[in-house]
Amino acid sequence: MFQNFRLTMTWLHTWFGLVLGFVLMVAFFFGALSVFDREFDRWGIPQTRFEAQPLPSFDTLLRPVFESIEPSRESIDEMRGRVHGPMPEHFDTVRAWTLYTTHRDPVMRLNAIYEVPNARDPDDDVFGSRTIDPRSGAVVPDNQLRIGSQFFFPLHYSLQLHWLDLGEWLVGLAALAMLVALVSGVVMHRKLFRELFTFRPDKQLQRSTLDLHNLSGVAALPFHFMFAFTGLVIMAGVYFPVAHVQLEPLHEYYEKLEEQQTGLPHDRAGVAAPLASVDAMVAEARQRWAQRGASGDVGLLIVRHVGDANGYVSVFRAGTDRIGLLGEGIHFKASTGEVLYEEPPSSAVGGVTDFLVGLHLQHFRHWTLRWLYVFGGLLGAVCIATGFIFFIEKRKRQHARQGVSGARVVSALAVTFVTGMVIATLSLLVANRVLPESLTTRELFEQSSFWGAWLLALMHAFWRTGPVAQGQRTSAWSEQCWIIAVMAVLAVVLNWITTGDHLLHTLAVGYWPVAGIDLALLTTAAVAVLAANHLRRRAASPRARGAGVSEGDPAVGVAHV
Amino acid sequence: MSDAALLAIALLLCVISFGWLALAMDAHWRQVWSSEPPGRTTARWLRILGWMGLAASLALCLRVDHASMASLVWVMNLASAALIVAMVLAWTPRWLRLLVPGRRCS
Repeated sequence: MFQNFRLTMTWLHTWFGLVLGFVLMVAFFFGALSVFDREFDRWGIPQTRFEAQPLPSFDTLLRPVFESIEPSRESIDEMRGRVHGPMPEHFDTVRAWTLYTTHRDPVMRLNAIYEVPNARDPDDDVFGSRTIDPRSGAVVPDNQLRIGSQFFFPLHYSLQLHWLDLGEWLVGLAALAMLVALVSGVVMHRKLFRELFTFRPDKQLQRSTLDLHNLSGVAALPFHFMFAFTGLVIMAGVYFPVAHVQLEPLHEYYEKLEEQQTGLPHDRAGVAAPLASVDAMVAEARQRWAQRGASGDVGLLIVRHVGDANGYVSVFRAGTDRIGLLGEGIHFKASTGEVLYEEPPSSAVGGVTDFLVGLHLQHFRHWTLRWLYVFGGLLGAVCIATGFIFFIEKRKRQHARQGVSGARVVSALAVTFVTGMVIATLSLLVANRVLPESLTTRELFEQSSFWGAWLLALMHAFWRTGPVAQGQRTSAWSEQCWIIAVMAVLAVVLNWITTGDHLLHTLAVGYWPVAGIDLALLTTAAVAVLAANHLRRRAASPRARGAGVSEGDPAVGVAHV
Repeated sequence: MSDAALLAIALLLCVISFGWLALAMDAHWRQVWSSEPPGRTTARWLRILGWMGLAASLALCLRVDHASMASLVWVMNLASAALIVAMVLAWTPRWLRLLVPGRRCS
């Protein structure tokens, strides 16, 4: 089909990169924002703007809350059709209580999982949750959109397309394409090391864009590769659900075997039993961790088979000082508090898995590394965006001669997925500050503002990229840069007006979750203005070289968020 | 010294080391000095210094954090440093003259 291997790789890189590049753009940009998902949550829900809290007393504070949880209406509705006969009125058998927290969570979310007696699949369950202020135990209303962890983060791996898990499959395919693009990119690049530090902004746009594309791809090559790969590892259960499909009998057998080895009961005994002091178990776990020289924050607490003689309590250490998310679980008999099983140090394979998963999900306490991740994610976005520009620059004159609209369509989509995506994000932040808190459909309006703004950006991009079809440059980039600048400043001002938390205040008291996002928004605005000005000068200069020298820049700016 | 200071030095070391590695290449040397490329000995010394600097930077990262974390910090430092050196070469290449003190401009 092609004369040589390099041409084959070029074809692969160009077309897979173009088609799945738009998905990758979403994954990289919102992945970068998700590094600070908890901080976005604080920005969007002002009632929760206080310092992260340690685990409060289970016996006096958490237990009553756990006992008051009821299965949510949505989870019961979802269960309908999966039961024999009518839906039960009550769900009295609690399968488990769980609590997961990190060093960045001021509020805590408590979950309860209930058995459904007449479920067709006995493993099916209904669940409910409650969010509390751990300082007082007071329930915090849970009906507000957590912008970071509930919107940006799922958008990063599922595109918020939940029908048939389509979004997750698309992102997985894109991650695979990313790995292919990286390998084929290295093959195509004849002077990988010789041009490692090469960026020539004063050359032709096509050449300098390619420089930037290579630079952002090669400099952060380990980052791009590791994140695409570990993303696939994390989502492997979605793509290959073997444990509950082909290998179901083996899975069941493994669970039985595990029960024998660890002594942790797989099933309820059917005999009621009280729950001993969980605080004492947590204290014991902390002591054992301390003996191994590890700090003792609890990351995950699970009570299984609640109220049953077979019940047990699992306490996992938060991997705040390690890459792995959690570890060194210690399991106690719920009725007596005696240690049933202390997990041994993880095996080589387990350790590698923990490292791969933890490095992507990053719940560690290391602000330098977190910012470096944001930087890496934005660099990925720059790499993809410059790929689009190069594609357009290379073809637009030829397409203009032939009367083909390919370059124009790609150009409009590139604008939509670079500056348009930033506008959509800012629009969500602005809507979050403007909409009244009493509004019951607030969450819906917030999300609609995001998708609506993105749609408008798409329409604007298609409208304004007409000149590209004649081989000319488009003003869509600079116009959207101006919109970004205005909206970013607006979001900061609105945050000040509606909450009183202006930058001087948040910086003075050192409340970084909000100060950081405000500063990042202002940086975004500044970068957008610079980019717009740069584009105007380019357009005005006699040796104008086409549109969007610094398309990557707005994305870089938002990366600071 | 505080961890933050050590990490800052680790990043700075990466930038300086990549600067040396870049200067060991003829094209970049010309950009910086506007003169003929360095002799073979100079280039080799620049390369040795560069690799040693990168190794020292890794050592600093390992002093601050657990090895699993330190390796990630170092890899990300490499990415940032490569980008910084490329941008300096693009906009103000003469700054890299600081990395070879004592050499007169031609």
